[in-house]
Amino acid sequence: MTMNDSQGAPFSRRDFLERLAGVGGTALLMTGMSALGFGIASAAVAPPVLQGGGKGKKVIVLGTGVAGMTSAYELSEAGYDVTVLEGRDRVGGRSWTARKGTKMHEIGGEEEVCDFEEGYYINPGPWRIPYFHRGYLHYAKKFGVAVELFNNDNDQSFINYEKGTGPLAGKPIRKVGIAADMRGYADEMLAKQVRQGALDAEFTPGDKELFLDYLRSEGYLTRDDFKYIGAEGREPTINPGAGLDPGEGKWSKPYPLTDILKSKTWQVLKSISALDQQRTMFEPIGGMIMLPLGFQKNLKPKIQLQHVVEKISQTPGSITVSYTDAATGQKGSVTADYCVCTIPLSVLRTIDVQCSPKFKEAIGGVSYALVGKMGIQMKTRFWEDTYHMYGGHVYVDDPMISTISVPSTGWLGQKGVVLGFYPHGAAAAKISAMSLAERKAYALAGGSKIFPEYAANAEGTFSICWHRVPFNMGGWAEWTEEGRAKYYPTLLEPEGRLYLAGEHLSYLTGWQEGGIESAWQQIAKLHKAAMAA
Amino acid sequence: MNFKSLVSTAALLGAAAFSGGAFAQTDGATLFKQNCSACHQAMGQGVPGAFPALVGDKLLLGDPKGPAYVVTHGRGGMPNFSEDLTDDQISAILTFVRSSWGNKAGPVDAATVKAVRSANAPPSNEAGLPFH
Repeated sequence: MTMNDSQGAPFSRRDFLERLAGVGGTALLMTGMSALGFGIASAAVAPPVLQGGGKGKKVIVLGTGVAGMTSAYELSEAGYDVTVLEGRDRVGGRSWTARKGTKMHEIGGEEEVCDFEEGYYINPGPWRIPYFHRGYLHYAKKFGVAVELFNNDNDQSFINYEKGTGPLAGKPIRKVGIAADMRGYADEMLAKQVRQGALDAEFTPGDKELFLDYLRSEGYLTRDDFKYIGAEGREPTINPGAGLDPGEGKWSKPYPLTDILKSKTWQVLKSISALDQQRTMFEPIGGMIMLPLGFQKNLKPKIQLQHVVEKISQTPGSITVSYTDAATGQKGSVTADYCVCTIPLSVLRTIDVQCSPKFKEAIGGVSYALVGKMGIQMKTRFWEDTYHMYGGHVYVDDPMISTISVPSTGWLGQKGVVLGFYPHGAAAAKISAMSLAERKAYALAGGSKIFPEYAANAEGTFSICWHRVPFNMGGWAEWTEEGRAKYYPTLLEPEGRLYLAGEHLSYLTGWQEGGIESAWQQIAKLHKAAMAA
Repeated sequence: MNFKSLVSTAALLGAAAFSGGAFAQTDGATLFKQNCSACHQAMGQGVPGAFPALVGDKLLLGDPKGPAYVVTHGRGGMPNFSEDLTDDQISAILTFVRSSWGNKAGPVDAATVKAVRSANAPPSNEAGLPFH
């Protein structure tokens, strides 16, 4: 099969996919392949059919994040006898929601109790679901977990870049103005070159005029002389309304190009967002914990909480997981035909796993993200009331704050919980070294640069630095190219009767979807082995 | 004025109390606390299996170029601090760590850090658009 490009020259699906991979990397390639009906496993849209059923064979599932829940649910539905062990006193893993009374005790840190009011919450881990994460949406639909739109890009949001220079540096300015002006100026300059004939060699007959039409339309350039003098919708000086003043049409004046360039605020602009940041995005109403709770409600086996895994051992015919019951201090073990282990590799490497040296080395072959978040309950929704900003992210270039996000839930309500910081890497290491009071002070100072009323509105907070959280020891797996080549393939294959699953064993690391699709892939392998046994 | 009240004063003023260059802190113990202690822990004892102990660590206590390279380039799960700390600050931290908690190795000077830092360009930590 071939497709035609605009020149009429045929090119193959393979060419097309290679071009896709060239512009968008593997993720875009996968989506493209899925759209073309290749049906490759990495972009699965439905759970595997476990033909023939489990026939009562025993499986132990370790962990109750989305990978563990997916494995436990599908295997038990197919007739396997599933035992689910969870180290914590709650389900969900990183798929979680902090609300009033939620406790956290980071390693080396203080005891923290979330002091939000009833009804308010923050998702300290994953928080947004891209439209193409079909596995997550599959289960949300299946279990009736209601979702709402997550506003991942708001033109009315602010950029505050302090590291640039010039009059726009270190000042909160609306994204809409920067976007309109940068594109308008760029379009104007390009139009000038095209009209002067500087780029004639680039065009086939007739295309030059069409291209100029595009530039004029895209950049709101003037009709006859292609000048950028401002854009429709660019921060009106008066909003349209009733009365004599027309409002609309009185657009604010563009910033000088040199000021924008020097401010570096253009760094937030991209022609389109990266695939996993594009519209449309969702979030579960009531928080990310709603999906694990949906699984739990529909799961046949009872989840054994506070069963902390200490050892995984195998004989030729069975696999045994030894644990300590953290509630009673008693030790115990479960023996089964197979085990699906969704414990993060950052934690698994501290557990006595009896396996080949090659597998052991691979478990240690990936690093986990240092990452932090803080939720701050605000007593008014000043971002909505005063700034007309409904959801979205404030972009700052202080890496210890990184992103300030206002909620996409509770619209027009009384209060709301703002994401106060979301640092990564070295910046997260620094935030996590602070006391809880220092973290709050830092977050409030950062937010006050954007919104003067920020600190005065702040009430309770909840912060987390995932690299210091027991049972996680990191935000998500960060594979290097070397690790992907050397260790990742080893971990995808079963080690005897042990199957690993989780976001760490996908090309969707750090996303819920990675956990779900990894679980689908691994339980399909497990089922194949069980059928052959 | 203690550290805590300094932080809250800075917060009230809206000042960037912790941004590397502006603060110009060069006390090794303080810098260690701010940048390293969250993972390697307050007494350098680390967290088994997750964050290496700094007490008695061979690479840390060996040729000064070794630890200087790790701090400026990162290694495994450890981020690189090349954009967060000056040569003097890294020198102060390494000198402190190499002579604390029973460690007995000589100082690491700023010139060594500078030489290692520019050996191969470290990956950029530039804050980009949101990740997950």
